[in-house]
Amino acid sequence: MIKVVSVSKRFGEVVALEDVTFEVEEGEFVFVMGPSGAGKTTLLRLLLREFKPEKGQIFFDKVDITKLRDKEIPSLRQKIGVVFQDYKLLPERTIRENIEVPLAVINVPQAEWTARVDTILKLVGLEKRSEMFPSQLSGGELQRVAMARALIVNPKLILADEPTGNLDWDTAEAIVELFEKINKEGKTVIMATHNRAIVDKIKNRVIELKEGKMLKARPKTEEQ
Amino acid sequence: MNIHVKTAIDYIRRTPFQALAATFVLAITFFVISVLSILVYSSGKLLKHFETRPQVIAFLIDESTPEQVAVLQSRLSNDSRIINVNYVTKEQALAIYKEATADNPLLSELVSPSIFPASLEFSLSDLSFAKAVIDETKKEAIVDSVGFTASLGTENSLGDVVERLRQLTFYIRVGGGVLAIVLAGTSFLVLVVIIGMRMTTRRGEVEILDLIGATPGFIRSPIIIEACLYALAGVFIGWLVTLLLTLYATPSLVAYFGEIPILPKTTGGILGLFGIILGFEIFAGLALALLGSMIAVSRVRAGR
Repeated sequence: MIKVVSVSKRFGEVVALEDVTFEVEEGEFVFVMGPSGAGKTTLLRLLLREFKPEKGQIFFDKVDITKLRDKEIPSLRQKIGVVFQDYKLLPERTIRENIEVPLAVINVPQAEWTARVDTILKLVGLEKRSEMFPSQLSGGELQRVAMARALIVNPKLILADEPTGNLDWDTAEAIVELFEKINKEGKTVIMATHNRAIVDKIKNRVIELKEGKMLKARPKTEEQ
Repeated sequence: MNIHVKTAIDYIRRTPFQALAATFVLAITFFVISVLSILVYSSGKLLKHFETRPQVIAFLIDESTPEQVAVLQSRLSNDSRIINVNYVTKEQALAIYKEATADNPLLSELVSPSIFPASLEFSLSDLSFAKAVIDETKKEAIVDSVGFTASLGTENSLGDVVERLRQLTFYIRVGGGVLAIVLAGTSFLVLVVIIGMRMTTRRGEVEILDLIGATPGFIRSPIIIEACLYALAGVFIGWLVTLLLTLYATPSLVAYFGEIPILPKTTGGILGLFGIILGFEIFAGLALALLGSMIAVSRVRAGR
C-alpha cells in the first residue's frame, strides 16, 4: 500500500531523512519509532505530501505521490486520516462540527452527517460530548475527537504523529487500544512515537529512525 | 444551512467591529454612488430639457407662403443636427405673448396678430452645431432674422452658452465618476485589508483544513461569502439612505425646478429608477467583494 524508496529530505543543512526505504502492506499497524529529531514527523509529512523529498519516491496505492500536482494533493489527503500530537482541532467549533468538517470537504450529503458522526462518536466513546467545545475536554478526549475526525471519512490509511505524546500512561494506553481496534477493522495504521513502552506493549512491526537514518525494520513478533 | 455560509456568519459574529468597519465604508461608498447616480440622472434630464426646448427661432417674412414655409420646415426636419421643428403662426405668437404678459393686460390690449411674425422654432441635437445652423438659416429667402434662446446665467455670446453647458456636464459626469472610482478603490482596499486580516487570524484553521484534504475553493468559500455579505449590506444601507433622502427632498426639488423633470414624477417611477440603481450596485458590490477577497486570499496564501 505504501512504498518508500530511498527517500532523503534536508532542511537547509539539517538532514531530516537519509535514504529511507520501507514498505507497509494494507491492513498493517506499523510504528515509526525514534527519539525527538529522528525524522518521524518529517516522514509522516512526506506521506501527507506537505513537501517533497530531495531524493527518492513514495508510492501510495502504486501512485508516486512525489509527482502529484498541487491540485491533486487534496484528493490524496482525503484518503488519509491524520491524528496529530497537538490534536489540531478547530477551537471555535463543537466536537460534532469538528468531526463534520471532513464530511463537508469530501461533499458527503448533509443529511448523512448526523448518523455518521453519531456512529463514530460511539466508537470513540464521546457520544455525550458532541455539543461541547474542545476547550471543555481533557487531553485524552481531544485525542479521541481527533481520531473520530480522521475516521469519519473511512480512510484507507491512518497516520498518527505522536498521538500519545501529551497523555498520561493510562490514557495513552486507551488511545493505542483504540488504534488497535481500528486496525483490526481493516485500516492501515502508521503511528510515530518515541514511547518505547507502547511499542513494546503492542509488539507490532517497528521502523526505527535515528538522526534521519533508518536503523532497522523490526518485524512483528511471533506472539502477535 | 450551508457550512460555508454558517462559517462566514460565525466569522462576522466573532469580530463585529471589523464587520461594522467594512460595512460602514462600503455603505458610504454606495451612498455616494447612489447620490451620484441620481445627480447624473437629474443633470441628464436638466440638459435634455435645455437641449430639447426651442433654442433657435427663425422669424419669417410676412410675404412667405405656406408652401415655402412647408418646404423650409421639411428641410430643417431632415437635418440631423436639428430636432423638434415647430411652426408658430402669427396668432400663436400673439397667444404666447399674451400669456407672457398676463400680469399686465394693458400690454396685450395694445397689440394685434399682424405685428408678430410667424416663426419656425427648433432645437439642436448638440449645441456646438448652433453657430453653423443659425448662419445657414439666416441665408434662407423667407427668413427675416434668427434668434437664439439658450442662455444660462449672464452669458451673452453663443460660445459662452455652449462652454457653460459643457462645463456643467463635465463636472457632474466626469467629476462624479472620478469621485465614485476613488471611493470604490478605497472600499476595495478596506475589503482587501479586512479579508487579509481574517485570513491571517484563520491561518491555523486554514492549515488544519489543508491537512485534512480541503481544496483551496473549500477554504476560500467562507471568506468570499463574508466579503459578499459585507458588500450586500453596504449596498443596501447606502441605497436605502439615498432613497429615503430623495423621497424626503422630492417635494422641495420639484417646487424648485418647476417644469424641468429632474426626477420621475410618480412614486413608481422613482422606485423604478432606484431599482435599476440597486441592481447595478449589487452587481458592482459583488464584483468588488469577489475581486477583493480573491486578491486578499491569494496574497496571504502566497506569503505562506
